[in-house]
Amino acid sequence: MRRGIRQLTLCGPLLCAGLSAGEVTTADLLEDENVASDWLNYHGGYSGHRHSLLDQITRSNVKSLRLEWVFQERIAEKFEVTPLVHDGIMYITVPPGDVYALDAETGARLWRYSRRMPPKLIACCGLVNRGLAILGDRLFMATLDAYAIALDRKTGRLLWETELIDYSLGYSGTLAPLVVKDMVMVGTAGGEYGIRGFIDAFDVATGERKWRFYTVPGPGEFGHDTWAGESWKTGGASIWITPSYDPELNLVYWGVGNPGPDWNGDVRLGDNLFSDSVVALDADTGKRKWHFQFTPHDVHDWDATQVMVLVNKEYRGAMRKLLVTANRNGFIYLLDRETGEFLRATQFVKQTWAVGISEEGRPIRRPGMEPSAEGIEVYPTVAGGTNWMSPAYSPDTGFLYVSCREGSSMYYKGETEYTPGTRYWGSMFVNETTMHNWYGAVRAFDPVTAELRWEHRLFRPAWAGLISTAGHLVFAGTSDGFFKALDSESGEELWRINLGAGVQASPVAYESNGRQMMAIAAGGGLFVFSLPEPAID
Amino acid sequence: MRLPRYLVMLLATPMLLSAARTHETNPMSSAEDLQEGERLYRINCGVCHGMEGDTGRGARLARRTYLRGNSDAELFDLIEAGIPGTDMPGLWLDEDAIWKILLFVRTFAATASAACEPGSGDAVAGKQVFDNSGSCLACHTVGQKGGRLGPDMTYAGVTFSPDQIRKALVDPASDIAKRYGTVRIVTGEGEQVEGIWINENAYNIFVMDRSEEIRSFRKAELKSLEQPDESLMPAYGNLLSNEDIENLIAYLCTLQGLTRENVL
Repeated sequence: MRRGIRQLTLCGPLLCAGLSAGEVTTADLLEDENVASDWLNYHGGYSGHRHSLLDQITRSNVKSLRLEWVFQERIAEKFEVTPLVHDGIMYITVPPGDVYALDAETGARLWRYSRRMPPKLIACCGLVNRGLAILGDRLFMATLDAYAIALDRKTGRLLWETELIDYSLGYSGTLAPLVVKDMVMVGTAGGEYGIRGFIDAFDVATGERKWRFYTVPGPGEFGHDTWAGESWKTGGASIWITPSYDPELNLVYWGVGNPGPDWNGDVRLGDNLFSDSVVALDADTGKRKWHFQFTPHDVHDWDATQVMVLVNKEYRGAMRKLLVTANRNGFIYLLDRETGEFLRATQFVKQTWAVGISEEGRPIRRPGMEPSAEGIEVYPTVAGGTNWMSPAYSPDTGFLYVSCREGSSMYYKGETEYTPGTRYWGSMFVNETTMHNWYGAVRAFDPVTAELRWEHRLFRPAWAGLISTAGHLVFAGTSDGFFKALDSESGEELWRINLGAGVQASPVAYESNGRQMMAIAAGGGLFVFSLPEPAID
Repeated sequence: MRLPRYLVMLLATPMLLSAARTHETNPMSSAEDLQEGERLYRINCGVCHGMEGDTGRGARLARRTYLRGNSDAELFDLIEAGIPGTDMPGLWLDEDAIWKILLFVRTFAATASAACEPGSGDAVAGKQVFDNSGSCLACHTVGQKGGRLGPDMTYAGVTFSPDQIRKALVDPASDIAKRYGTVRIVTGEGEQVEGIWINENAYNIFVMDRSEEIRSFRKAELKSLEQPDESLMPAYGNLLSNEDIENLIAYLCTLQGLTRENVL
């Protein structure tokens, strides 16, 4: 089955009218995580599971996995893309502003879109892009010069572009957009540049803006009083990871970035909503249904831009619609995703900044752990207990898999001033003196209790995400260049290959002519693996 | 919504070029400029280059010559445009601000430069210690001569201060670059290997042994693997006289790069 299940009854009248075969429908997106062959959304489905139903590659044959093809490009930046795959064609972004269509079977190039960029892009952490969204015959991208754009998926021709905001003020687009119904949603990165974060929804056909939600509330809006003085104007709270979506509740779950300036909170006294929060927005209107803030008044740069994983599980005797997320601040949180009710928080890496989490979900801070002029060592590192790299959730094992980062940073506090388009940090962090204690681990947790089920130690903390598959495997990338397969029930390493560069992307799985393919970006290449015919069970 | 993109870029161009350089040499020179440059440096540059230009993940600035250019104009352009493909971003500040930052950055170089004067030592005598009695050349390279187990000293006079050299001679374990860290291994067969760290990953470690051979070991097959906070270099405070040490410093301060003499 190459095209996946079509449920035309789920199509809206506008979207399904007149579509020819091959176009991606709203129904396809709704069914993405139930269809093994394609990969149509950054997470492989709206729930943020990054789980594939493909089961051809198994614990017993994974040792025969071999390289099928490599895409190479001269990429000086971090290659963080999650490919999309539809109908035998793979769509990737290549930093800083290119899009390629590749034959998913062979890697052959079909077309290329190359965006003409202004000379001085502003991005704190590399000129990166994490991928595309797809609907109908259109691909959607958020660009580093702060545009949302639509391309013809058959030719790469630019169909429309809408400016989010003037990029020279420090705004940029790095996330893979989310398509919901007839809207494409993006947010703006730039939390290190004194931006005021926001989320936009655009009409997929025209690029017309349907709504905007500011992640830093303005005067008269809920939460505005959590920002001292004029600090809301430069409060950061960026958006740089694709949200999850619950179609039944019609809510989109956005993880929001750090407040600015990062390490000096004196100029922004207050909780600084909605920085370091998850905000649940009505998909049609962009109105906030609820929010939950993980780290009020953050001074360690612990963005909440981790993937919000949606699961339906029994909690205290009743089935609940849950949201689970391993946060950069070192705790795994369990929330009710209908109401935002805080249910549980559990430490999952070493942390020294909080005594614990209160019954309301607020951290109980340990005194003296704020950045200072002399510097203070705090666990976890500035990169957090985990970061943007995707976790995975397997409905087979029921485990949540997280790439964990152990270690500390030295945090400094200093003076700062806002100059448009320049860094607004409030001093610095230093890792050189603490990184001898760093290591990484892939860990499996029960998502409801956060109980640790197994651990696979990594030599260094990883910047690569995970995928689980129905073949009872978890695939992981590492900073020392390995792409490896672990037993999803035990964590035992079953296969590995060195790709020659640290992996800084999350893997995907798809099917090509009856064969399961695993794709991962590393260095300047995208590597695709499959089984040789004799090894297929 | 559909913006005339190239028109927008065209209109934005004067702003994009607002920091364009109008001088070939730094027009800033006053004490106020320097003070402002220090303030701007601490906000914008210190996070990577260190507050004194000598720590952090960025390039070491406390030196007299730079890899990517040494003229005011070259360094201005570097600060303004950044280095593509690296974590060094361009700075969106006006021209005066960048010149002031450069004025402050130059103080690092001035300090490094002034510091590595020969002092009381005799550089000619120091070379004898380095090449012969101290056996430094057995492990350190100058030009194209010498060993590989210690850091290359060809640019010692540019990159180190006398205090740094003195400390490294007396207490070599106090600040070892990871690349020269000591590794001690006992293999599965019982062979004992000592050398310096070259690289490692989750499964293997790569070591240059005392005979300068690069060797690869599978960690799982080793009886023991130690990476002690020690240096393979002996503490020369016990082995050389103070005079010898001052002479060595004087000699190392003269090493400013490749010369006719140190290239075979």
